[in-house]
Amino acid sequence: MPTLLELQRAMRASLVDRNDGPAATMLAENVPADRLNVYRNTFVTGVTKALRLSYPAIHRLVGNDFFEGAAGLFIAQHPPCAAYLDEYGADFPQFLRGFQPAASLEYLADVARLEWAVKRAIHAADVEPFDFKRLDALPPEDQVRVCFVPHPSITLLCADYPVDVIWRGVLGGDDAALAGVDLKTGPVYLLVERRATGVEVSRLDTAAWHFAAALCEGRPLAEAFAEAGDTSVEVQLAEHLAAGRFIDFRLAPCDAALTASLETVP
Amino acid sequence: MFPPAAKQQSPIPAKAGIGLRFQHHQAVLDTDPDVAWMEIHTENYMGGGTPLRYLDAIRRDYPISLHGVGLSLGSAEGLDPAHLERIRRVAERVEPAMMSEHIAWSMANGTYLADLLPLPMTEEALAVVCRHVDQVQNYMKRRILVENPSTYLRFRHSTIPEWEFMTAVAERTGCGILCDVNNIYVSAHNHGWDASTYLAALPPAAIGEIHLAGHSVRSLPDGSTLRIDDHGSHVIAEVWALYGQALARFGPVPTLIEWDTDVPPLDVLLGEADYAGALLASAGQEARRADAA
Repeated sequence: MPTLLELQRAMRASLVDRNDGPAATMLAENVPADRLNVYRNTFVTGVTKALRLSYPAIHRLVGNDFFEGAAGLFIAQHPPCAAYLDEYGADFPQFLRGFQPAASLEYLADVARLEWAVKRAIHAADVEPFDFKRLDALPPEDQVRVCFVPHPSITLLCADYPVDVIWRGVLGGDDAALAGVDLKTGPVYLLVERRATGVEVSRLDTAAWHFAAALCEGRPLAEAFAEAGDTSVEVQLAEHLAAGRFIDFRLAPCDAALTASLETVP
Repeated sequence: MFPPAAKQQSPIPAKAGIGLRFQHHQAVLDTDPDVAWMEIHTENYMGGGTPLRYLDAIRRDYPISLHGVGLSLGSAEGLDPAHLERIRRVAERVEPAMMSEHIAWSMANGTYLADLLPLPMTEEALAVVCRHVDQVQNYMKRRILVENPSTYLRFRHSTIPEWEFMTAVAERTGCGILCDVNNIYVSAHNHGWDASTYLAALPPAAIGEIHLAGHSVRSLPDGSTLRIDDHGSHVIAEVWALYGQALARFGPVPTLIEWDTDVPPLDVLLGEADYAGALLASAGQEARRADAA
């Protein structure tokens, strides 16, 4: 008699690896494969649907048959590991990058990365920004050691293709916008976040993106300022704070290097 | 029984409710439908943003039941503590009037199989489920209900009739039973059981909720037909009849209409709920007459 663990691993082998052998011997059915197929179909259909909901633009770009084929292979290689399917599919962009049948659509993986960022923004937890008074209360020598914690909806994304235009054009059915896409315009620097009105994807210039990325990575303020080396970053910081992009901060340890870099703070 | 009790809304009345789906969020707020309560899939509200904002507004006017589909109470490998905590956080925010899960499993070898898979009806599986129900009730600090599954296959080494398995889980853990009448009908057809016998074997005092839904019929290559619990159509007449038997045995119990695929306009769901509500009302009159006699 199989143990429960043996039975569940045998069922997993049937559903995910398409190996019915061990499970079939445990079933009290005339044609075990038919019954196992019902469950396998539910598994693949359900997880494919979760991917389609996360990657609607990819689905439209490649068409349903192609999408289902790619999803089937992806699911077999990266089956979900938790019952929270809203978090499933983070590896799909990387999978698409190496997926030979899609090689002619060189921008596909980058569009998928944008879709994943959008999806993260949609589902991110509700968290309030921190109270600015806490920052004002810090002495100036401590303010430069501030490391921010970004809102969980935020992603700073750099892509080699104008994926924001492609993404909007595909989902909006805007053929004119898509016809105008030039894949050779160089990288785009994007901020993806959830605002009160919904998810927003905005373009930043290269310097502003790098400054925002440094802050969102939790680098100390002095370091981010020093790297930017540009007086406009104070205005940018004020904008980030006003937009509620940070939910908390901590203080980096005092160290000589950091203190030295203060001299270059604008 | 599960100290100290978690905060919750006032109890759900023995009336008809509907499964709340994203498609109907706005319509519910706009039309304030005449329905006694609503049930949500816990897994759909684990993030932030729009769904929770709608739910915050809707729960002010309707008692909410949290119905989980992913906890895998029957997993030999144990419950996923991260998932248990996600559920607890949703419960903390919603303070639901009821919480339920399934007699099924969906995790193996660290893979989530995205379905409510059938358990072998064995003493080992019963012990695993009971241990996990105890764990959940202690973690959530409240009683939960467990739902009987729809199944499409059976295991050779099963020794316990499903209705005895359900009863034993309730007796050993103190949990309630969410009696899915459509599931009983579907499984009875698929396995050649008698649905009335199944119903008659369940302990009335443990029944905390009833589910009703539509199902489809699929022909298999071997010539047999399977009834598939896809929640994609109206409740069929035979299931309404079985529901009548359930009410006669259990008395009026909060009853939910579920519809998850090809979700129709809200009015269609409300129509099904109205019909369930009428049957509930007459079951209530019967019960009062019986008490008076």
